[in-house]
Amino acid sequence: MSKAILLIEDNPGDVRLLREMFNDHGAHNTKLTHVDCMSAAEKHLGEHVVDIILLDPGLPDAQGLGAIRRAHAAAPRLPLVVLTCLDDESVAEQALQEGAQDYLIKGQIEVRGILRALRYATERKRLEQLKDEFVSTVSHELRTPLTSITGSLGLIMGNAAGNLPQPMARLLAIAHSNSKRLVRLVDDILDIEKIQAGRMVFNFSRVEVRPLVAQAIEANRGFAEGYGVRVRLEAAHTAADVRADPDRLLQVVTNLLSNAIKFSPKDGEVVVAIEKGIDMVRLTVRDHGPGIPVDFKPLIFEKFAQADAGDARQKGGTGLGLSIVKEIVDRLSGEVGFADAPGGGTVFHVQLPCWDHVASLAIDREAKPDAVRLLLCEDDLDTALTLREQLRQVGFATDFAYSVGEALTRAAATQYHAILVDIQLPDGDGVSLIVRLRDLPQYRDTPIVVVSGDPSRGRDDVRSAKLNVLDWLNKPVDLDRLVRALAKTVGHEANRRPRILHVDEDNRVARALSEIGDVVTVKSIEEARQTLKTGDFDLAVLDVALAKGAGPDLLPELRDSRGNIIPVVVFSADGANLASDAQVPSALAKSHTSIDSLMATVRDRLASRPTNPSKEVV
Amino acid sequence: MSDIRILLVDDEPDIREVVDVSLGLDREIKTRACASGADALVAAAEWSPSLILLDVMMPLMDGPATLANLRKNPRTAHIPVVFLTARTRADEIEQYTSLGAQGVLSKPFDPMTLAASVRSYLPPPAVQHAL
Repeated sequence: MSKAILLIEDNPGDVRLLREMFNDHGAHNTKLTHVDCMSAAEKHLGEHVVDIILLDPGLPDAQGLGAIRRAHAAAPRLPLVVLTCLDDESVAEQALQEGAQDYLIKGQIEVRGILRALRYATERKRLEQLKDEFVSTVSHELRTPLTSITGSLGLIMGNAAGNLPQPMARLLAIAHSNSKRLVRLVDDILDIEKIQAGRMVFNFSRVEVRPLVAQAIEANRGFAEGYGVRVRLEAAHTAADVRADPDRLLQVVTNLLSNAIKFSPKDGEVVVAIEKGIDMVRLTVRDHGPGIPVDFKPLIFEKFAQADAGDARQKGGTGLGLSIVKEIVDRLSGEVGFADAPGGGTVFHVQLPCWDHVASLAIDREAKPDAVRLLLCEDDLDTALTLREQLRQVGFATDFAYSVGEALTRAAATQYHAILVDIQLPDGDGVSLIVRLRDLPQYRDTPIVVVSGDPSRGRDDVRSAKLNVLDWLNKPVDLDRLVRALAKTVGHEANRRPRILHVDEDNRVARALSEIGDVVTVKSIEEARQTLKTGDFDLAVLDVALAKGAGPDLLPELRDSRGNIIPVVVFSADGANLASDAQVPSALAKSHTSIDSLMATVRDRLASRPTNPSKEVV
Repeated sequence: MSDIRILLVDDEPDIREVVDVSLGLDREIKTRACASGADALVAAAEWSPSLILLDVMMPLMDGPATLANLRKNPRTAHIPVVFLTARTRADEIEQYTSLGAQGVLSKPFDPMTLAASVRSYLPPPAVQHAL
């Protein structure tokens, strides 16, 4: 059976070369399909069967690790091979962490090598999936006999232990505590696997920290007594509400507590404290144990990390507790860390966003008053904040709704121009939210864009229910595509100020340009490359003398997310003539050109750009 | 005073025995055990248990199928069902409750508190009307 390869590559020369190489080497059992940007790739992956992806991560609409992340997100089950000019070991390593199976350098590899890499990538991916399924199945299979073992031992210890002769009682206690440890290990392995596969569901709500911590302390009381350790809750009257998933937060507190208890000396004390800051609530767990060895500090949140394996195993740990804490706290938009406690021991802290703070963030108060207002229904605060920041730069104001209920309340109170809906919300799914919005007369025709973390989920429901969804975007969101989709209906694009990328060190020019449009000034070629990733520009003004004359190297990279050339006004100290092609019709000599004549050239170039770029086919 | 009757359905004999002893710590609870979904349908109709504790992964008729069949029979349709299962991912729990289960208890369970957990799923006792 032939293997369908999707080649994502924007350099036509490389595409041709690859096709020729494949043909010459009789790679008959491969079918190569080519797209030249990430949006097209995502579309193709949604509609066609593909066996493997070959990706050049230098695309007009996605670059570097971001491109790899997006390709992986669009097709998490497909093997992904990166083919790039960038020969950098650390990038290669990160690429593999982001989900790529191999990282090949153009020019260093011939067709047999590529074909072999594709073969092995497919096999590696298959093994990876097999491993995931294996972990899940084995964990569940282990639970059945463990249920009988822990149940039987629990009954003996709970009822009859007092009547047993001493050595036997002691041996049964060992069997009982170790059976429980095995259960914890299975649970932890399942949790880690779930988190890493992105399958752990977080249901955010308002959580009162103090009762939750008290509950965790109560639940660990027996455990603490077993170690002869006392747990004390300080600042017991601090009222602090955070935005979190209560079950997951309980897991975080429990893991920190059991860690602190295990490493406390006999008759030691563990002190838990809650402090309320302005935006964050800080929870600390302090022990009086031996402290964390210096060498071990950088590894503490790693999986199966134990300072002294033998010692930790004696403590009944799984080596997974703290890495689970870290993963969960990250997902709760919080922060976790630790420090040596004064007078010995360690203090761990967790900071989580205050409920009031998160609630106050819901309305975008910093946007310009005339900005077009959108509603973003998204429960992940970090994602929401990033998207708001990006949308603000292109002139939108973004209000948040963290749940279906909140979305309906806000939509009733304010008439939004468009609504973005995450398909997975804590109190219901995005599809049912869209259905309910469409039932409201004022939202019957409002543009709705779906933002989905799971490409497969809900798509058919939306399609079959004829909900008139404007576009469907996978996370991480392709901002340009989102803006284009919105611009089509909101009529924003037509009236906006032009965006100008200014690559120069001259502040006078920057000031003058800012009268014409929104200017982003960068001082190096590298910065320019980074900035190009943040959004489309209508024009670039470039001093080619920058970076020891490396300015011209940037020219081929000046493209927008559709792959269209960005017009350039080139500026050079000596007037070197670069006016060679359509992209650079004129170069100005810096020494002979006044600011005014530069501005006139800039205005001319902007006037000749296409009037309504959003009409172009994506 | 009426007894609480719990019908336990699990294909693992060891688990049936451990659950039986655990629930037996509560003197008001009477337990009966079945090894398959098919047996459970018969026992539920005959014995009218107060609650059915149902395993999910069983050969032939699994837990969800057993639940669906219980709901089809007017004699058993009203009996509360709680799943006792090792599969307790959030989406799995959601699925079980959407099928009409009253709740989900996870395996392994704490034998000393199992009876109390099961009791929490029983409907409140009927209000005694004063004459």
